[in-house]
Formats: sequence, structure tokens, C-alpha cells
Amino acid sequence: MPLVKFANLDFDQVKQSIKDYLKSNSNFTDYDFEGSNLSVIIDALAYNTYISSYNANMLSNEVFIDSATLRENIVSLARNVGYTPRSRKSSQANISFTVDVGSSTALTLTLKSGTVATSRQRFGNVSFAFTIPEDITVPIINGTATFSNITVYEGNYVTENFTVDTNIPNQKFILGNEHIDTSSLVVRVYPTSQDTSFKQYNLKNDLFNVIADSKVYFLQEIADQRYELFFGDGIFGKKLDNGNYITVSYTVTNGENGNGVSSFAYAGRIFDNNGTLVTSDISVITTNSNSTGGQEIESVDSIRKFATRQYSTQNRAVTSADYESLIPTIYPEAESVTVFGGEELSPPRYGRVYVSIKPINGQYLSASVKDNLVDQLRKYKIAGVLPVILDVKYVYVEFNSVVFYDPSLGSNADYLKSAISECVEMYADSTELNKYGAKFKFSKFTKVIDDCTDAITSNVTNIMIRRDLAPILNTFAEYEICFGNRFCVNPNGYNLKTSGFTVSGIADTVYFSDTPNADLLTGTIFMFKVDTTTQAGVVLKSVGTIDYVKGEILIDPIRITSTAKTNSQGPIIEFAIKPYSNDVIGKQELYLQLDINNSTINMLKDEISSGADISGSRYVAASSCADTGSLIRR
Amino acid sequence: MPVEVQQRTSVGFKDLSMSFQKNPLSNDLIVLNHANAIAQAVKNLVLTDPGERFFNPDLGTGISESLFENVDVISASQIQVYVENTIRNYEPRVRLEEVVIVPDFDSGLFNVTVKYEIVGVDIPIQALAFPLVKTR
Repeated sequence: MPLVKFANLDFDQVKQSIKDYLKSNSNFTDYDFEGSNLSVIIDALAYNTYISSYNANMLSNEVFIDSATLRENIVSLARNVGYTPRSRKSSQANISFTVDVGSSTALTLTLKSGTVATSRQRFGNVSFAFTIPEDITVPIINGTATFSNITVYEGNYVTENFTVDTNIPNQKFILGNEHIDTSSLVVRVYPTSQDTSFKQYNLKNDLFNVIADSKVYFLQEIADQRYELFFGDGIFGKKLDNGNYITVSYTVTNGENGNGVSSFAYAGRIFDNNGTLVTSDISVITTNSNSTGGQEIESVDSIRKFATRQYSTQNRAVTSADYESLIPTIYPEAESVTVFGGEELSPPRYGRVYVSIKPINGQYLSASVKDNLVDQLRKYKIAGVLPVILDVKYVYVEFNSVVFYDPSLGSNADYLKSAISECVEMYADSTELNKYGAKFKFSKFTKVIDDCTDAITSNVTNIMIRRDLAPILNTFAEYEICFGNRFCVNPNGYNLKTSGFTVSGIADTVYFSDTPNADLLTGTIFMFKVDTTTQAGVVLKSVGTIDYVKGEILIDPIRITSTAKTNSQGPIIEFAIKPYSNDVIGKQELYLQLDINNSTINMLKDEISSGADISGSRYVAASSCADTGSLIRR
Repeated sequence: MPVEVQQRTSVGFKDLSMSFQKNPLSNDLIVLNHANAIAQAVKNLVLTDPGERFFNPDLGTGISESLFENVDVISASQIQVYVENTIRNYEPRVRLEEVVIVPDFDSGLFNVTVKYEIVGVDIPIQALAFPLVKTR
């Protein structure tokens, strides 16, 4: 009998294969008995085969990016398709401070590169240092030097030196530290170590526009999350000469641990133009913006995902999928990206690509980040196509849950309510929702509540969807609010509920609501004021239209003067309506979020399940009708 | 009702010799047959330490640790239990009759005698005797 099972990875199976072989092909009989000499030999053979099989299996796994487990192999495989994994990224903060130089005759003060400040708070006995990569010089005006809006980077500023020695074959320039923010690398090449003049070399990730004299360097991640620099060969990039002296400065960072620092203590070095160190009369540091943007090194899962996708883009932004692959590499703080062509809009806007990005920290991108992104995308986009970065448009899902619980299981209502809140928050933070194209799955959501603890017997949950309109105050403007989800229509109207606002010419606080047309597909928006939440007095009969099928509300030009509600971005009007389907989607640039703060959880004893009222004669039903009777949002 | 006893019948055993010497007559490897193969297997089991064999951590007696205990009847008793358990669990070809461990106080060793009957073979009870000596 031939030995046929080659793929066994289990020692016992390998051993059994050898025994089966001996059974058919040998005069020896004692292989079955553990004490026999033959058994010892079979053990040795099986172990050898097992180790060989294991090694072969691991080796073949490590050859493919999908199955490789060692980071250095995954990075190496990604390198083959031209993908450079993202390094750790320093957290950035913006600070200001002043220096009072009194009667000194100095004209300028220079803040030296390196550490400038440390965090005042200590996080688990760790204090974070914040640095600047270049010297900053400011003038002294009226005895005061002002260092304003300085961007500082979390981490330690390190400089390493190398001397080029052409006698060493394959000389390597490996940076000694891990946890480097490669965007902070500054590479300077001096003719010799004695020279003071230098040429700055720039990082290149490709060979476009690289000629024989280009002062560029290339970077690759090697083992243990360290980085190796290499330089041109005289054909692609300038070749270094024997004796050249390389200085490499960079930041070794704590990544995302450095985020959230809000208070800083000065720890820098300031010299005046006479070379005198200034150590006194330095003001308290003002924090203009807390430290944000710190990131860990790109995970192996992310490398697996994006290396192949970026290869498919060929470093060109042509399709919307290309943009979605490229943007996370340009802007690593993007939590989710959605891109669609202008031709998909109604009416179409040809020649534009609309990009909407949800950042990891915060809800919106700043104007400077948007401008920077558009600049970066220019390198990849097709000529004539204009990328437009849109603000994220949030569609909030609010829920009103009545949860029944069994009090005989020893839990009180407050404890259960808090447990449900935690479960719902976990669901709200999950990847099920926090992405473009997300879907709020009603049945899963109610199951999250039911499964939260054993004491919960059932729940009756109603949902509303809401969008917040940020009106331009005191200006006539037309507004379009898209929900991307079909609305539920009550033929009697008042499906839409808004928060209050004032308009020019009307003294009272007014609200929007709707009257459906006979076809129940479209309707009219009217404006009304209220005496109580259930008594309406119509002020203007037609101020816009509503399309229940498309989930769109169009408000005719109106001059809003104030709003009853505000958020971090300014005044808002909340528009809430019951969706046609309890499953809500985030369509195109709409980003779905579960709004727990505007949701309610009410606990009710389930006396049938607990056995206190088996016949159900005292049972109080929870309403599945979403309409609370109120016409407005308070 | 009388109980019918099924007698196992042995077909003979053949094992390699660990000396790996060649037979001067046949020029083949020396083999161990029948009772000799079993005796060698019993001795191997007694001298194997748990963990020594791959993926079979329970096989063996662990007497090498006991050898460094005091040479007395308590250690001898412990070794006896180890040997009995191992042979009963891992050598189905024999029916164990007796294990005798005699401490030799002067030489600092234990004399082991294992008496067993080979299952299914009509031969007298076998006695395997060997000393257990500290090797380090």
C-alpha cells in the first residue's frame, strides 16, 4: 500500500499513516505497541514528517498576502505591488505663548527644533513630549515675543547620522528606532561630516519625474517595524558619494496614545539673536487645539485590504472605488469614505466627483483639511475632473423603546436601563453603522436590546429618522433636506416634526409640518405656530414640498432669523419623521448614526413572565404607534 | 449460566534491535522475536520518562526522578507503583503478575524484577530483571 496521505498536519495522523504502511509492507509487527523499539523509530519518523509538513504549510502561507501572518512578510508582499504601509503618526496640537524679554536689546527670539512642551496631565505615569521639526524665529515687539499658533507634534525628536562608505557592499541605512512617524523624516546630505552646507533630500514613493540628479530617497519598512532608507543609483535619483554624511531627523511617537492632550507645560529652548538662552518670563502655554490625529502603524489587516486595492487603482483616481482606496492613504484619519460621480446626482453635475469623509475624531473636516485633500487628489485625478469634498450629512436614527423585564430575576429597572444603554452604545459604535452605505437593521437592533440581559423579556421599539438643517441666518435661502429613505405617510398630515425657529415678519416661534396630496406620494410643507404641543395655528400654507417616496424636503426661499436649537456647528433646525421602513440606510453621502441622546428607554415590569399576573389581566400594552401626539420637537 | 472466556491467540511478535548490529549470518538487521521483543518493550516502558515521547506525555514511569530519592523501601514502593501502572496501561501483550523492587543500599540502586505472563502464548511466566541505577 503506498503512503498516500501527504497533507496530514497532525502528528497522530502521520503516525497512523506510517503504521498503515508498515502493516501492508513489512514483516515487523510491533509497531502497534508503544514500548517497542519500532514504535520509537516510528515516533521519530512521524515527528520529522510533522515538522516538515508544518514548515511547508507555514512557508506556503507566508508566500501569499491573504494568508501570511508575519508582518514583515505582509509588508514585503505589499511592496511587490508598490504599496507602502502607513507608519505611526504623531498627534498634533496647536499652542501659543509669549516671552517677555524686558529691557533686552535683542531683536528676535528663536525657538529651537526639538521638544517644546510636555503634557501637564500624566496618563498612567506617562507624560508626552511635543516637538517642532524646524526652528521658529519671531521678532520682539515692545519687549514681547509672541509664538502664536505653533503646531507641535507628539513624540521625541531624534537625529541619526550615517557616513556613506562605498567600500561596504550593499551598505544599508536602517533607522534604529521603531514607532517612527515617517512623515516627520528630514533627510540632509552633507558632502562630508566636516561640511556645514547640505542638500535636503525628499521622499519619493514612485519613479515619476525622478531623473539622474533628483535629490530623493526611498523608504521601506523592514523587520520589527523599522525603516530603511535607500538612495538613487545615478539613473533614478542622485547617487551618494563616498564620505557623504547623512543626517536623518524624525519623531518617535506614541501614536494614538498622544491624542487628547489639552494642557501643556513649556519645555523648550529659546535663544535670542545674540545667542543668549532665555529661560525666564515665558508665559503659560495657551492651547488653541487639543492634540489629535495620532495614529498607530497600519495594521496587517489594513495592509492586506488596501495593498491590492491600491494596486488596482494604479495610483490613478478614475473610478469612485479608486478614490475610496486612495483617500485613506492620503488622509489616514478617515474613518469612512464615500465617493460618487456628479452624474449620479439629480440634476447631474458632470465633471465633478463628490467625496464625503467621516473623520475618526469629530464629525466634520476642517476647511484646511478639505483644501489639502483636494490638492493631494489633483496628483491622481483625471484632468478636467474636479473633486469636491462634501461635509458629512448625518442621518440620525432615534428610538423610543419600551422594554419589558422580569423582576423575579432580581434586577431593578435602573440597573437594566443602564445595561441596555451600554448595549445600545456598543451597537452604535460598531462597524454595522459607522460607515458609508450602512444599514440600520431594526430586527438586529431589537435583538440587541432583548439579548442585553436575561431579565429582559421583550421590547417594543419605534424609530424616527432626523436630519439637522444648519440655516443661514438673516439671509433668504432655499433648503433641500434629503433623507435618502422613504417616509411613512399619515393621510392626516403632521408626519414631519421640526424644532422651532423664527422668520422675519413673524413674531412667534414657528415650525414646519406637512400635508400629503391625494396620491400620498408628495405633499406640501406648511409653517405653523403652536399654543400647546398639540394645537397648531397655520401661519403659511405652502412654504415647500415633500416627496415621501424619495425622502426629500424642499423649502422655498425663506429668511430664518433664529433657531431654538444649536449644536457645536451653530444654529440648527431638527427635521424628524417616521421612515416607511424600520430598516434605515445611509445612501450616498448620508452617514447613519444612532442618536442615543435623543432616544428614550422606558422599563415596564413583565408580570406575565414573572408569574405575578399569569392571566394578564393587569397587562399594560406598549404602543407600537410612533406618533407621540406632539406636533413639534422640543 | 457459565461465562465463555475468549482466549486471545498471539501470532508472534517481531521488533528491531536498538543495537542496529547486523546479523553475521544473514547480513540483515538483528531482530527481536516473540518473548525477547516483549521483554525489550517492557524494559523500554519502564525506562521511559513522561514527556520523552512526542505528543504522548503520559507514557513512561518517571522513575528517573525517584532514583534521586533516598534508597529505601518508600522509594521502592513508589517505583513499583509507577512500573505497574505503565505496564498495565501500555503493554497489552502481557498480563502482569508481580513487580518486585529491592533497594540495594550498598550500591545505591534498585533491583527490578518484573514477572509477567504473555497473553495467548502457552509458555511459563517470564521474569525480567534489571537494575535501576543513577546515571548522573
